[in-house]
Amino acid sequence: MKRREALKNTAILGGTAAFSVSLLTLFQACKAQPRLTWEPQFLNVEQAQLVSALVDTIIPKTDTPGGLDVKVDILIDLLYDKTYDEQAQQNIVAEMDGFNDKCNAKFGKVFYQLAADQKKAILQAEEVNSPKFNSGVWGCSVGEQKPVGFYRSFKSLAVWGYCSSEAIGRDVLKYDPVPGDYQGCIPLSEVGGVWSL
Amino acid sequence: MSEFKYDYNYNIDAKKNMTYDAIVIGSGMSGGWAAKELCEAGMKVLVLERGRIIQHIKDYPNMNKEAWDWELRGSITPEERKKHYKAVRTNWIGEGNKDLYANDAENPYTEVKPFMWLRAHQMGGRSQLWGKQTYRWSELDFEANAKDGHGVDWPIRYKDIAPWYTYVEKYVGISGQALGLPQLPDSHFLPPMELNCVEKDIRQRIEGAFPSRNMTIGRVAHLTEPLNGRGKCQTRNKCSMGCPYSAFFSSVSVTLPAANATGNMTVRPFSIAHSIIYDEQKEKATGVKVIDAETGEMIEYHARIIFCNASTLSSTRILLNSTSNRFPNGLGNDSGELGHNLMDHTYRVGALGTFEGHEDKYYKGRRPNGIYIPRYWNIDEASKSDKFVRGFGYQGGASRKGWGGGANVQDFGANFKDSLLKDPGPWEFFITGFAECLPYHENKVTLDKNNLDKWGQPTLAIDCEWKENELALNKQIQEDAVEMLEKAGLKDIVGFDKKHEPGFGIHEMGTARMGRDPKTSVLNATNQIHACKNVFVTDGACMTSNSCVNPSLTYMALTARAANHAISELKKLNL
Repeated sequence: MKRREALKNTAILGGTAAFSVSLLTLFQACKAQPRLTWEPQFLNVEQAQLVSALVDTIIPKTDTPGGLDVKVDILIDLLYDKTYDEQAQQNIVAEMDGFNDKCNAKFGKVFYQLAADQKKAILQAEEVNSPKFNSGVWGCSVGEQKPVGFYRSFKSLAVWGYCSSEAIGRDVLKYDPVPGDYQGCIPLSEVGGVWSL
Repeated sequence: MSEFKYDYNYNIDAKKNMTYDAIVIGSGMSGGWAAKELCEAGMKVLVLERGRIIQHIKDYPNMNKEAWDWELRGSITPEERKKHYKAVRTNWIGEGNKDLYANDAENPYTEVKPFMWLRAHQMGGRSQLWGKQTYRWSELDFEANAKDGHGVDWPIRYKDIAPWYTYVEKYVGISGQALGLPQLPDSHFLPPMELNCVEKDIRQRIEGAFPSRNMTIGRVAHLTEPLNGRGKCQTRNKCSMGCPYSAFFSSVSVTLPAANATGNMTVRPFSIAHSIIYDEQKEKATGVKVIDAETGEMIEYHARIIFCNASTLSSTRILLNSTSNRFPNGLGNDSGELGHNLMDHTYRVGALGTFEGHEDKYYKGRRPNGIYIPRYWNIDEASKSDKFVRGFGYQGGASRKGWGGGANVQDFGANFKDSLLKDPGPWEFFITGFAECLPYHENKVTLDKNNLDKWGQPTLAIDCEWKENELALNKQIQEDAVEMLEKAGLKDIVGFDKKHEPGFGIHEMGTARMGRDPKTSVLNATNQIHACKNVFVTDGACMTSNSCVNPSLTYMALTARAANHAISELKKLNL
């Protein structure tokens, strides 16, 4: 992956991998823009900013932890790095660039640099325009599936990363590792939320 | 019976003894039963397993893990996908169970036509991964070939196997609801699992609109009451990572420990059965040639009888590879039918929809089971179709989308997050059919000597396709599914047919069929090779037709029956 290699090369030139983060932080501070507080394994800095900003906009922190609190952005970078093959990695990078291009065309900035209401406007349009996922049967979607596009598939990854994290899956969603007998019809109020597993 | 001991200390020192009373090739669903029956009768048994040993509980490193315990949340890497490049088509392989799927790269096969062959190369075979759906075949199934003229007649009828069904069911533990249907005989049941409220409503509506159709809870090899020291199902639905309660049936958790408890079993892991040795003078088999998978060494083991339970296509591969002057085209292949008449069930054709109502209801537990709609076509004169012979059944179920439906919710931000955590989303219901496949001579496997595996052995070329009757059944499956969901009041109904190739049902059957006539079949009524009676084949290879219901229970019953026949014949000195 070219982008990844480029980032690695930068780190090597800088002397150590850790150095690249502090260097980043320095540049970002100069521009007075949101800092990237983690070191991406696969994405370049701008793509990583996009991932963090999207996660934060889709699943913000409220009285419960947000996506960034449970490191969904770091997970997504890791998944792109370790579970995507080369073709899929090239595709996702192209899709991210395409997404930022849309933001640029509309507001003259990439997504993470937008104001909150501009981010909202972008995502509202994506929600309206992105096809939805078909339902599946035993691990395989059925019916004719239209391409859902970058936003909807990213959102799916973000939701999964969020809900399958320990902080949410164990402590916020209803976690019952050993349920015992199946009970097929109980009041929702008795459960009081959505099952984790 | 006392509780199972979980540290089995399997005797794996096969080098001390090269001669046994019996050799069982394969330690899966049927091999486990052969081992148990033969060992309990006092025979010294060598079980050959091509992969590693798995000790129940002790060797389930992932049984208590959750998604967050893995760096990649259970996803696998591209390298792992390459290793399992055939099996990944199922979409079922994750970090927690990947080691139970065979290494496709080391074990290639040729798809003359598309065929998904799922293999499990370690102790327990696919009994660690199976769906646990457990149904008796009926008289209708055993008579089918004779009545409509496809394939050859089964040499047995329902009455021959019924007592053996009962025998294995009492030991396996099958939960389900008795219905008294002739086309789906009841098993010896443990209490049924519960239907949820949506399934109950849909059942009432479907049975009301279609009086000849029934909907019931799936009949499954999950304990709903403790049995023989095994605990009942805790509805964790993590079966493929191993069950700490021993609640689902596998050979690793049930039959092999029983065989081991007799002290009569020796297991030889990493042992690839190369061929069965035939003695021209004695006119019987005398043993098995084995390749040590780790060293490549060829070793011969000897026995009075041999049970071939390597799984349908692997058993046939061994027989095809067992050539001699007497059997130049493979052991027992006088008929020319060895390798032929391969069948599977059609898969993933049906309908799904959204159910309105019961939004204030939910369930507790991850029930490893769903609903079942037994066959209703071609069961009598009134249900006769002019479009196809045989029939199909459906599996399915209702559940709420939960957070898994979150990506589709047209919202984001604080409110979205709140609903993700608190609203279980809509109820969804689906049914998906499994249709019977006819036995066609031209659906076959052959030895491919140009394409060798890691051990230099010929691989299989699989040449199999659906034909007119299966495609007509699939068409009916989808039409009926949509119609039933409409009558049940579901919304946003989607009919589907994924057009999966054969093999996806993972119910491959045939290629060494039983029959009455040695000229047209490989095995007799007690699963013995017609012309080499001390070799028994009791896995899916033996099947003469394939019904529309899941086959494992029938393999188990046929194996127990054949093993007890072997024991009695040995006592009479007939083998």
